[in-house]
Amino acid sequence: MKGNEAVVRGAIAAQCRAFFGYPITPQNEVPEYMSKYMPAAGGVFLQAESEVAAINMVYGAASAGIRAMTSSSSPGVSLKMEGLSYIAGAQLPCVVVNVQRGGPGLGNIAPAQADYFQAVKGGGHGDYKLLTVAPWSVREMFEHAALAFDLADRYRNPAMILSDAIIGQMLEPIEIPDKVEVDIPPKPWATTGAKGRGRNFITSLYIVPEDLERINLDIQAKYAEACRREVRFQEFEVEDADMVLVAYGCVARICRTTMNLARRKGLRIGLFRPITLFPFPSERLAALARDGKRFLTVELSAGQMVEDVRLAVNGAA
Amino acid sequence: MGHIVIREDRCKGCEICVRFCPKQCIVMSDRFNSKGHHPSEFHDTGECTGCTVCAVMCPDVAIEVYK
Repeated sequence: MKGNEAVVRGAIAAQCRAFFGYPITPQNEVPEYMSKYMPAAGGVFLQAESEVAAINMVYGAASAGIRAMTSSSSPGVSLKMEGLSYIAGAQLPCVVVNVQRGGPGLGNIAPAQADYFQAVKGGGHGDYKLLTVAPWSVREMFEHAALAFDLADRYRNPAMILSDAIIGQMLEPIEIPDKVEVDIPPKPWATTGAKGRGRNFITSLYIVPEDLERINLDIQAKYAEACRREVRFQEFEVEDADMVLVAYGCVARICRTTMNLARRKGLRIGLFRPITLFPFPSERLAALARDGKRFLTVELSAGQMVEDVRLAVNGAA
Repeated sequence: MGHIVIREDRCKGCEICVRFCPKQCIVMSDRFNSKGHHPSEFHDTGECTGCTVCAVMCPDVAIEVYK
């Protein structure tokens, strides 16, 4: 199965019931398979007139309390940034898949990891961040759909699956579980028709400065809690390593092979793979730095995640 | 008991699945597929355990396993 199909199957298994998308390579299989599987699951599939329309449709569906998703590739994800900022401001859960390609601008359709900053630092305007997960296999494309929806619902904040053209396009065998455990909290804030209760009101506009400040403090408190509770990472041969490679997504796969080759030559190399890019596994990296490890950050960009690694290490290695 | 479904048109007849199946449940077909290769086919002896070795080894991800 292709990574792009796996994320669709994972999303539907995680009770995603609304998908709005617009074509762009290398994520085309996502809307393609959504159009195949979503109607059978009783959900809504709609090809929007643009990326901007798609993210605003997600805004609407998320307001109604439905698990809603959109997907795109780098230039298209840039177009979604305004909508994502509004969704974060309105504190709504949703999932966006970015099958990254080369940039800036239209770039090309080859794999890249140059949207790291856009994904983990917010991307749109205002003090918000996306809960970002980085799959490194077709199997994780499936699993991270449920993870991203659970994180989004738990924190009422948009989540991003930061994939890339390799992970999205490659074929790998995966085992589809009969049932996927999901954690969908009650959504008393959802605009589901105000019969028998007071009205719910969803907005990202808070004209009174004190109101907006209170909302922003609430949002920051959520991020602080996510940093305490949701950090996920994976380590390979780190214990005795002199040097630890730090990589995510497709590059982490390549680094694992590199590590194995280096180990055969007697070099003590380890691999540290962040699974959540926000919240970033800073504490663990800091602890490894205190143990005297040195780090080599490898990524398919001119150097973006390396800034978070440097902040975590903070001069200790 | 497991069984497998081979997507014949993806198969290039490399025979890796035949060699790796621990229960000899896969054989090469006499027929041709649309690419002109002899595809492999499931030979249901009732021995298939659904171990997934064939699917993991297949370089073209052409095999689905049902347990």
